[in-house]
Amino acid sequence: MAWLRNRYILTLGALGVLAISWNIYVALNNDGIIAGRVVTAEQQPVSGATVTLSERSLLVAVPKGRTVTDDKGGFRFAGHTLHHFYLEASKEGAGRMPPKEFRLYFKGQNLFIEKPLVLAESK
Amino acid sequence: MRQYPRWPIHLILLFVSSLMLIPFVWVLKTSLSGENIFSYPPALLPRDPHLFFYVDVWYTIPFFRYLVNSAVVSAIVVAANIVFNSMAGYALTRNFPGKRAMILLFLSCMMIPFQVTIIPAYLITKKMALLNSYLGMALPVCSTIICIFVFKASFEAIPKSLIDAARIDGLSEWRIVLRILLPLSKSAIATNVILAFIWSWNNFLWPLVIIRDQEMQTLPLGLSRFLTVVEDTTGALYAFCIMVLLPGLILFLLAQKEFIAGLTTGAAKG
Repeated sequence: MAWLRNRYILTLGALGVLAISWNIYVALNNDGIIAGRVVTAEQQPVSGATVTLSERSLLVAVPKGRTVTDDKGGFRFAGHTLHHFYLEASKEGAGRMPPKEFRLYFKGQNLFIEKPLVLAESK
Repeated sequence: MRQYPRWPIHLILLFVSSLMLIPFVWVLKTSLSGENIFSYPPALLPRDPHLFFYVDVWYTIPFFRYLVNSAVVSAIVVAANIVFNSMAGYALTRNFPGKRAMILLFLSCMMIPFQVTIIPAYLITKKMALLNSYLGMALPVCSTIICIFVFKASFEAIPKSLIDAARIDGLSEWRIVLRILLPLSKSAIATNVILAFIWSWNNFLWPLVIIRDQEMQTLPLGLSRFLTVVEDTTGALYAFCIMVLLPGLILFLLAQKEFIAGLTTGAAKG
């Protein structure tokens, strides 16, 4: 086994282990879940707000999904296959949050957004 | 003899080495932050570094396919270079009529740029029905004159008595190369591997001429395609450059000791 202990085998082996580990991590975390909350500027949860998921093409933003927040202001998308997308939230009377950019490390990566989307009243 | 302190020269060398690294640092920094060269105030370290530009590259073009294509072509080129160059290098260590003319022919051929021979090379490849294939891409760099001379220098550095002893023991010329000369020429092999790999890996013009199928493109062709696909390329373009450079860089760092030894073999021969 001494022939295995050289810098070529060790480097390529380490790269192989890294690639396998990364693929295992991807396989365990690619359900395509995007979850978060929508709140007002006073941090009050907003129920019934529409959250739009869109992907930016070369020229325009293409909508990929739409959902409505629950009583606690929570929303959830499942099964997305994006790695670069925008979230936009709005509710009649409560205000609107302009499209916010999100980037992921692989397509369909689960994302639980800790910082809530804040609706600002339109002037 | 008076010994002078060595730290001043080391300090100068360190400074010059750092200057040489600036382009690499700049490319790496831009790939991590997207800041272009005009960003103000200038900074050595990237602000808010992230790896998302690498993700963009991975998904915008079929990067893995290009990587595999480049790897296959490079593997063919490296293997062919070791086989053909070692044989040619050994032949040049032997005495035969016209050896000097042959060496002069090789040296003069080094002066001819590839662009001059690209049309005949294309026609030959077409006649061999190798257009749009891995072998077709590898063919023009399957043997390189510089690498033949690297092997020649390495073989000449091996004591002649060793080859004579092998011949007395009944070894054929093939087995002398395979069993005696090649195991003693690891540095020449490493030099061949690195040079052949880098030349093949970075080859742009020849694959551009003979490849028609998008699935057969290599990384340098992918880079030019990437520029046509992505509008705002600052960060992603540099990330692509790093991803293309990385395999060659790893190979060079792994084999640099043998590489330098291979290039300097015979250099100080008296």
